[in-house]
Amino acid sequence: MSKSYTLDELLAIAVAKEINDYENVVLGVGVPMTAGALAKALFAPHATLMMESGIVDIRPLLSLNNIADAHSCKGFSYATDLFSAFTATYRGFVDVCFLGVGQVDKYGNLNTTVIGDYDKPTLRLPGSGGAADFISYSKRTVLTMRGGTFVDKLDYLTSPGYLEGGDSRDKTGLFPKGSGPSALISTKGIFRFDPVTKEMYLSQIHPGVSLENVRKDIPWDLKVAPDLTETMRPTDEEIDFIRDFAPELSAGRQLAVELRAAYQMEKSRLHCV
Amino acid sequence: MGEVNSKVMRAKEAVARFVQDGDELVIGNYTVGSCAELVYEIIRQNKKGFTLYSQSGIFDVEVLVAGGCVDRLVSTYVMRSGGKKGGSAVERALNAGTLQIEDYTNFDYNARLVAGMHGFSYMQVLEGVMATDLFRKRGFMGEDKFRVIRCPYTGKDTVTVPAANPDVCVIHVQRADEFGNAQYWGAMGSVAAAALASKKIIVSCEEIVDHEIIQSSPHLTIIPAYRVNAVVEIPWGAHPTEVLGYYNLDYFMYNGLFSSAAATADGLKEWMEEWVYECPDRPSYIEHYIRKFGTAALDEIKAKPLYSAPANYGSAFHSRWDRNGKERSMGVTRVQLENLLKEKGKLYE
Repeated sequence: MSKSYTLDELLAIAVAKEINDYENVVLGVGVPMTAGALAKALFAPHATLMMESGIVDIRPLLSLNNIADAHSCKGFSYATDLFSAFTATYRGFVDVCFLGVGQVDKYGNLNTTVIGDYDKPTLRLPGSGGAADFISYSKRTVLTMRGGTFVDKLDYLTSPGYLEGGDSRDKTGLFPKGSGPSALISTKGIFRFDPVTKEMYLSQIHPGVSLENVRKDIPWDLKVAPDLTETMRPTDEEIDFIRDFAPELSAGRQLAVELRAAYQMEKSRLHCV
Repeated sequence: MGEVNSKVMRAKEAVARFVQDGDELVIGNYTVGSCAELVYEIIRQNKKGFTLYSQSGIFDVEVLVAGGCVDRLVSTYVMRSGGKKGGSAVERALNAGTLQIEDYTNFDYNARLVAGMHGFSYMQVLEGVMATDLFRKRGFMGEDKFRVIRCPYTGKDTVTVPAANPDVCVIHVQRADEFGNAQYWGAMGSVAAAALASKKIIVSCEEIVDHEIIQSSPHLTIIPAYRVNAVVEIPWGAHPTEVLGYYNLDYFMYNGLFSSAAATADGLKEWMEEWVYECPDRPSYIEHYIRKFGTAALDEIKAKPLYSAPANYGSAFHSRWDRNGKERSMGVTRVQLENLLKEKGKLYE
């Protein structure tokens, strides 16, 4: 029996397995960065990891604070600019990218801009950043979900998935054939997209999670793969890598925030006395 | 400070001279190493009515918006402190009706500055955006946010964005010389385009170095002196963000103090009172920080050296005349050349 793991660790490990050796990979901060580092260390040693800020072939030493964090790298091979990082994606040189989810619908369209009215927002989310352009032109896009929600209708369409489903994405003529979201990975399971209808279905379920538990987050009648499999338990090596590299991910958002606050209090107190 | 025509000046003077109310203002830095002190000085001088361009919309945008300096924001990213339960100055200003926003993708935003930098009136962008609300939903730019034209070569619909040429760019870099040659390395982002698209440029730097140092490493220069209006030496000028080779992100100040404060309007106001308004310049800000938290907090984030391998800029010779005094291709000495010119009647008295 291997070590026990947290759901965030399981998520990052599942995400890492979406990276194949020799691929060109665009990472974001948080789960994707950790997944990229894990993949590079354990099963895709020749993958080229890059960030949209133009740092390419990075060797991350610790989890990056942001997408331009060269401080956390042992080095990088190519320092280009943001403009060229995106035109390289546009030309088809990026195999896989990773996007976080605010709202997502059944066709993998994403909202990371706003909840409620655009001009008078209930919740103003970050916005597109690079997301809309990456999911448009990366060969594959893996969606990672820690805090987002499944909805029937997005409040705002930031990043195009399969639009209305079927061949609607291809029919626009705006995107390379075959591009679009290839998977959505949450702390409950792995979802993929039907090759014809492009509707999201549950392809793999994480150990200990029930189908009801997956369905309760999803407002539509979720389809489930006839050959639904269970996600493999992570190995000790995978778990140890994550705890070394990104202990804050292992801690999880809530605990990390609490621990940081307590440690900061302690530091200020020490100085004041 | 300095000679009458020198570009080297204090932040106070640079902002007073080159930033006007109602300007289109661009924050040159992208996500890291933001020009914190220049931004704080703009707020202290109570400049108003900006159309603010920022690629990454981090704490710098939050304080400018909270300081009441910004009417319109063009960005790709809005900072939110404290997750769903938290908040952001941008969100609060949108709801109060004091701020208008135009959302772009990272590429589209940057493309506007790249067009401006090269003197073009528009730039082609990636057409996938046409399937999104970024394209459909227009803010204060209306129809001019994106326009679609027909490519004269392929006949395809092509999406374009208009060039941006902001009135003034504020930017922080690692080092510059007194003339304004500004050197920056690390994640290049959209830093050069933001500066070069702008009509005026205020550069702050960790250190002012000899012109010879710039001359020996020209590939690091992202802004040439002739474009720069002011050079301000500000050690710790990007704190609490990071500057590669100088210091790391101050997690304690940024993710701790600032982020917890910025979640609410009152919290941010109080934080700005302490760290922006009551610190008239960067030395007093750092002094205040040290008085409050000690030197250890700053020592902990100082960068350890990791030098780039030097590139060889050498060449075979630096004179047309070889060691025997002969011209390298014609094979004559200077005296011989002059005699020849005289003999052939080429010299005039």
